[in-house]
Amino acid sequence: MLLRLPPSLHYPITVTSLLKQPGDAVKRDEALFWYVYQTTVTEGDGLGNKVEVLRKFPTKFESTVDGEVVQWKITKGDIIDEPVEVIEIDEPCAHEVQFGGLCAECGKDMTESTYNTEVTDSMRAQIQMVHDNTALTVSEREAARVEEDAKRRLLSNRKLSLVVDLDQTIIHATVDPTVGEWMEDKDNPNHQALSDVRAFQLVDDGPGMRGCWYYVKLRPGLESFLQNVSELFELHIYTMGTRAYAQHIASIIDPDRKLFGDRILSRDESGSLTAKNLHRLFPVDTKMVVIIDDRGDVWRWSPNLIKVSPYDFFVGIGDINSSFLPKKQELGTLTKTGDKTGTKSSKSPPLEHHVNGTTAKPEGEVSALEQLVTMGGGDNPRLLQEQTDAQEETIMHQVEDRPLLQKQKELDAEEDAAESIDSSSSIDESQDSSKHRHHLLEDNDRELFQLEERLEQVHKQFFNEYDQRRTKGLGGRVAALRGEKTASKEKDVDLKLVPDIKDIMPEIKRQILGGVILVFSGVLPLGTDTQNADISLWARSFGAVVSQKINLKTTHLVAGRNRTAKVREATRYTNVKIVTTQWLLDSLTQWKWLDEEPYLLPVHPDDRGEPISPGSKEVESGWLSSSEDTGGFGTEEEEASESTQDILKSTGLDEHSPIGYGEEQQAAVHEELKEFLGSDDESESDSEISSWTEEATSTKKRKRNEGLEGGGDEESQDEDDPPGSRLSQRIKRSYERSTGLKEVATAGPSQAFSVPTESNDEDTQNQPEESASQDYIATSPEDPADDADELEREMLAAFEDGDYDAKTEEDVAAENG
Amino acid sequence: MFFLKEETKVITLHPSYFGPNVREYLINRLNEEEEGRCTGDHFVICVMDMVDIGEGRVLPSSGQAEYTIKYRAIIWKPFRGETVDAIVTSVKPTGIFTLAGPLSVFIARKNIPSDIKWEPNTVPPQYTDHADQVIEKGTSLRLKILGVKPDVAAINAIGTIKEDYLGPL
Repeated sequence: MLLRLPPSLHYPITVTSLLKQPGDAVKRDEALFWYVYQTTVTEGDGLGNKVEVLRKFPTKFESTVDGEVVQWKITKGDIIDEPVEVIEIDEPCAHEVQFGGLCAECGKDMTESTYNTEVTDSMRAQIQMVHDNTALTVSEREAARVEEDAKRRLLSNRKLSLVVDLDQTIIHATVDPTVGEWMEDKDNPNHQALSDVRAFQLVDDGPGMRGCWYYVKLRPGLESFLQNVSELFELHIYTMGTRAYAQHIASIIDPDRKLFGDRILSRDESGSLTAKNLHRLFPVDTKMVVIIDDRGDVWRWSPNLIKVSPYDFFVGIGDINSSFLPKKQELGTLTKTGDKTGTKSSKSPPLEHHVNGTTAKPEGEVSALEQLVTMGGGDNPRLLQEQTDAQEETIMHQVEDRPLLQKQKELDAEEDAAESIDSSSSIDESQDSSKHRHHLLEDNDRELFQLEERLEQVHKQFFNEYDQRRTKGLGGRVAALRGEKTASKEKDVDLKLVPDIKDIMPEIKRQILGGVILVFSGVLPLGTDTQNADISLWARSFGAVVSQKINLKTTHLVAGRNRTAKVREATRYTNVKIVTTQWLLDSLTQWKWLDEEPYLLPVHPDDRGEPISPGSKEVESGWLSSSEDTGGFGTEEEEASESTQDILKSTGLDEHSPIGYGEEQQAAVHEELKEFLGSDDESESDSEISSWTEEATSTKKRKRNEGLEGGGDEESQDEDDPPGSRLSQRIKRSYERSTGLKEVATAGPSQAFSVPTESNDEDTQNQPEESASQDYIATSPEDPADDADELEREMLAAFEDGDYDAKTEEDVAAENG
Repeated sequence: MFFLKEETKVITLHPSYFGPNVREYLINRLNEEEEGRCTGDHFVICVMDMVDIGEGRVLPSSGQAEYTIKYRAIIWKPFRGETVDAIVTSVKPTGIFTLAGPLSVFIARKNIPSDIKWEPNTVPPQYTDHADQVIEKGTSLRLKILGVKPDVAAINAIGTIKEDYLGPL
């Protein structure tokens, strides 16, 4: 070991003599060399005066380690100005492995410190690399050596390491005693699903939960999954549960200990209660490690991570060991909600929604303070205590409140209600449901099967890459040593050629959603950083680009709920597919760019009515057809979605460029606005378009009331037209209209209010219009990011004008009865 | 090494225990609290007998009684250089974890004879010289303690089996 001078010496120092020669044995605190340093001191001169004098002091430098001198790095007479290395000493023991403050090799106490101690010996070995013991620490060199051995072994077995999370990834556990009762009760509707639930009791699990029974549901297909995966991977468990809990689970999923051995890391040894760190298990490098977990945030979205969708068998229970972790972001609940709607699509929709609503609640109810506390979760003892209490509370809460029982009751009640309604309409269904009550617990999770495929894929890719590199790297040598080739092949696992999972996996993933540029709407709570939210990070790891605003390049609008301003906006873009959040989640979990068709969001007719890009026939007709729908309130949902697709189809043919925000495009925008507003103005004054709607009776009434300004003639003429020729007429008119009113120069909300000086007839029209724009203002805060843009506001105001017809119609219809 | 040691302990008793069974109750309390305790310096293995129970003194203001008990107990204080038998709790590439009674002893790879090698591919993983010596979880080992370090309520020790007559039994 090279000894270095400490920075605390009084530099510069002059070496006066070396006390040891190479080969001499040195003890700790033994003098190595003499040196002198200069400093000013205050002295008395014997007459009571104090004088500052510059003096030299001889001092000796003492060794901080035992061993044998190898060589000096300084010579006698050197003047040293700064900390330098002075001597190399060969230690008999480098204390590279330490156990509980002792060197595990020589048995010396590592925590000893004297006046001479700069750094205690215990700092030499700081890496914990054993799963189940925190007392053992090793130095970096030792860790690297051990890891290298492990890697060689894995490579020769063609395996990788897989770190497996327990809760909600491969199992789901609860302490709700209801489960036990349901398991006993053969008549319970949930009995079937619970048949393979295992139970165990944790006796010494802290005060307050003494002898608590844990019920564990294995994710479907777990056994074969683990079997198959263990052929390709060496499995490790990394859980936030306690050690005892982890051991119990391990003995359930792996009774022979063949899969996991004792490679189990629990919260007791993790070192951090808020995050999981791969370096705890693989301190040196993580090139060959894959993680599966249901939460990405605890891993800080490590590139080694395969995020799986959380397994939520016991509805509403969540992760019983998550009290210490930062609270799940809101989306977690969405995920679940979505999951159900995806999988249970065969069931009646209102029922599902109810269940899902209650499911989402417990997790959503996180007070801001609590969240702050958990997020700031360092490892200070008081906080730890609080969190431990919280954990206990969660457990107790579950034991006492029996959330599952409550849910089943709710479900039953709901069922009864639904039945009474159903029975009148469809006899079949009511009979069916009376036979077996709806069960709360669903056992139809398929995640592990997909996961297995993905792991195989990663494994294959990794070793393909490795083999390629190896044949390249060995090429020259193999030719030279052909005779020994077979012998050296097994041994010669070249660690330098090992590819990095952190490159390989992201590469696979990036291709999946590459080219997707998506915008979220109603998915993330206001004020969250869209780029760093869980879902965004997840999506981005798959190559998708998350942008804030819809523009020309946007390919998908991921809408959490319907009728947001962005949905409205997106309908105008031909290339934007408006999909539900489920599309994104399913694509991410299945590692596939799924077909958007089944996930398209049924756009509300009111929102859909606006995608107008004048100058194009198709769009014009599309718009009209949508306004027909708008006129007929109470249209069926299916019809609405159908016509959404119509619009998408029709607008798909439209090559007219949509509105963008670039400077160049602004001119085009204004041009469009002109046309757009122009056509609206005309529709206001002439009420032409509305007269084309099939449900025009109310419109006609309105027109008659408003005065027969010449609309009447046309109307009667229209009535006589056969429906077939209407389209051509319409197109012709639209051309006329747009050419006639291109002169309108300005666009903006003021436009709407600029005509109050006109006749009474006009006023009646303007009033609803005003209320319509107010409507918009009221709804706009849904997405404040949107109204930042001046131009956009103008556009939307213009849209309100477009929407005007429908609303006016309705209003007037109401007036007229 | 084992010692017979005389110690004293103060036990406070709630008034509800006052009565003819006080003595019995005190013995129970003493056994419960002392046996198996680790002071950081030694382990109390067994309370032998009570030398003197002393008179109970009622504490003012609380009504509880305080008994100062003198008792003899067998204690075990591990020393450096001591040879003990232990059971393997887990084996790792860095070494072997064992339990010698209540004492956890770690044997580093350096202190394992060089012919006994780490063999991770077996289930469970083991250290073996590919002959009659196999060290895996549950194996009994004879080892020599190399160093002992007291902690707050535990003792850590490291050991070696790299000497004659040490190793799996």
